[in-house]
Amino acid sequence: MKRQKTPMVLKIKQVITIIIVGLIVIWFLTPLVLITISAFASPSDYYQIDKVIPTHFTLSQFKSLFFELEAWKAILTSIKVAVVTMLLSFVIGLPAGYALSRYIFPGKNFLKLLILATRMFPLMILAIPLLIIFMRMGVSDSIWGTSLAHTAMVLPMIILISSSILSGVSVDYEEAAMIFGLSRIQAFFKITLPLALPGLAASAIFAFIISWNEVFVATILTLTNRTLPAHILKTAMASPDYFKFTGGFIMAIPAMVFIFFVRRHLVTMWGISLK
Amino acid sequence: MKEREGKIRLVKVKLKGLKKYFGKVKAVDDISLEINPGEFVVLLGPSGCGKTTLLRCVSGLEVVTTGKVFFDEDDVTYLSPKDRNISMVFQNYAIWPHMTVNNNIGFPLRIKRYSQKEIEKRVNWAAELLGIDNLLDRYPVQLSGGQRQRVAVARAIVMEPKVLLMDEPLSNLDALLRVRMRAEIRKLQENLKVTTIYVTHDQVEAMTMGNRIAVLNQGILQQFGSSEEIYHNPVNTFVAGFIGSPQMNFIEVEIVSQGKELFLKTKGLEVSLLDKYKDKVSKLSGKRKYILGVRPEHIYVSGRAQTDKVAATKGKVYFAELLRSDTVLHLEKEFGFLVVKAPGDLKIKEGKEIEILVDLLRIHLFDKDTGKAIF
Ligand SMILES: Nc1ncnc2c1ncn2[C@@H]1O[C@H](COP(=O)(O)OP(=O)(O)OP(=O)(O)O)[C@@H](O)[C@H]1O
Ligand SMILES: [Mg+2]
Repeated sequence: MKRQKTPMVLKIKQVITIIIVGLIVIWFLTPLVLITISAFASPSDYYQIDKVIPTHFTLSQFKSLFFELEAWKAILTSIKVAVVTMLLSFVIGLPAGYALSRYIFPGKNFLKLLILATRMFPLMILAIPLLIIFMRMGVSDSIWGTSLAHTAMVLPMIILISSSILSGVSVDYEEAAMIFGLSRIQAFFKITLPLALPGLAASAIFAFIISWNEVFVATILTLTNRTLPAHILKTAMASPDYFKFTGGFIMAIPAMVFIFFVRRHLVTMWGISLK
Repeated sequence: MKEREGKIRLVKVKLKGLKKYFGKVKAVDDISLEINPGEFVVLLGPSGCGKTTLLRCVSGLEVVTTGKVFFDEDDVTYLSPKDRNISMVFQNYAIWPHMTVNNNIGFPLRIKRYSQKEIEKRVNWAAELLGIDNLLDRYPVQLSGGQRQRVAVARAIVMEPKVLLMDEPLSNLDALLRVRMRAEIRKLQENLKVTTIYVTHDQVEAMTMGNRIAVLNQGILQQFGSSEEIYHNPVNTFVAGFIGSPQMNFIEVEIVSQGKELFLKTKGLEVSLLDKYKDKVSKLSGKRKYILGVRPEHIYVSGRAQTDKVAATKGKVYFAELLRSDTVLHLEKEFGFLVVKAPGDLKIKEGKEIEILVDLLRIHLFDKDTGKAIF
């Protein structure tokens, strides 16, 4: 017979869990807190060596970053690029994921591997040829060009994630809909998609965040239509440190708001959680 | 029970040489069937024999390898499921988790663009019929298994389908509910008069529900007939052994003639053949091996026989199963165990030697090699 755990052991286990979780939370939140505080710190406070936590706060660096350095334009571009990336990667990735989840065909596993293998090449190597191709196509320095590059980056993940999410929705639901009068495509949109939505929302966030944070390709492919990270990299590099924190804070905000908004759909929907 | 208004269309379903192979697996192998308009046909067979596959071929969810499916005279073999005007109750219900009961049942109607009023009327009709009208606002997660099953049935009947397909709809229910739902589904089908194909691997369900039963094994149709036919005249050892509980006794025998009489003989048992069987046996040629089949309920404990056309023998009771209504006796014989189903009031001690009587009218003879019935 297995020995039962005593209340003491359980208690210790609980405490250990709390400590570990606490450490993880601190690990992730500390930079965020530091960035936030520094972003609002008045320059004089920021540069005072003996002052770890500033006491005077200002919005002036936000103002200059937004308007003098035209970060608002870059934010708009970033949102556009991220949204287009999200849409493109879903338009292409969802059917591919569906095919991988619903059909058995020769070479399926190899194909999956191949999809992942596209992520094998370092961006540094791809960037210059990509720029040349984009210039020839006339999409360099445009929202479309950056979105296309970002789509290529997130697509493998979107395909694989959505395939596993769609596998979680029983084929029976779809087939039942087909029996009762829908075509396969209609059944997908009316039944499978709503059921897969919580999971798909997660992968949408994923696509959005990757595009939102991506610096390298965005910097190389654009001159005027810069996304926020590229813009900050270019302008804020030459600025004082507290400007950089302000830039970092602005970058983090939309992502956090977006996650917060979609997060509700992750956990529960109609009182069920699909695994 | 309320009748549904509107005309009732009765459809004949015809399967012609239907085959469905998955690579090397012959899930359905050359099945031909004709199901009469309004008939309730049960597909019966062991697990993996191709029942679901056959049903899916009729529904169009599976594309047949070869063969044809007809509804009346229309060839629907390659018609997509949505155009076949059928309904199906899935083995695991497949009611949509993101819709309320109301929306689940009304879904087929909304697809076909019925008016809001008509939808409401029909959903209420179906829900009332199945006793789930108080659950209409719930989501499937808030229902018990039995209630979900009723929702699945209600969804299947709101549309007046041409053909109703049911795939082991009662397999997940407890015994009590299952018996009740059996009766309810049967009554429902009689009222709707819709041509129905019902899949089960439960022979009691098959015997009690179907107008006719199609027995399948390894993708091949073994026998198609009424429950009486299948019980009394099984065409081969598979059907004979699959139908009936406890299972039919199979005893290897030789055919021996003595003067005008013919006997089926093995060590410890000698069964004389009645005149009506003699012709069939005397026509047999060559030296072959035979199997005598006799059901446990057709062997009587001495003194309890209803007929005098019996063959007597003795056997020691090895084990007595006391069920409330019957006593199942396992007797030790020279050829193995002989199972006898005796009345429940009979108290027989294990180890005792008793006399038993084999009903000569109820015996079956099979060719050992082919398994085919001789009578
Ligand atoms: N999609 C498929 N691919 C390959 N083989 C399959 C497929 N579907 C069914 N089979 C095989 O076909 C045979 C018949 O399967 P089917 O599901 O029709 O059996 P069944 O009679 O419904 O069994 P059960 O009573 O267990 O539900 C089985 O051997 C099964 O393994
Ligand atoms: Mg099955």
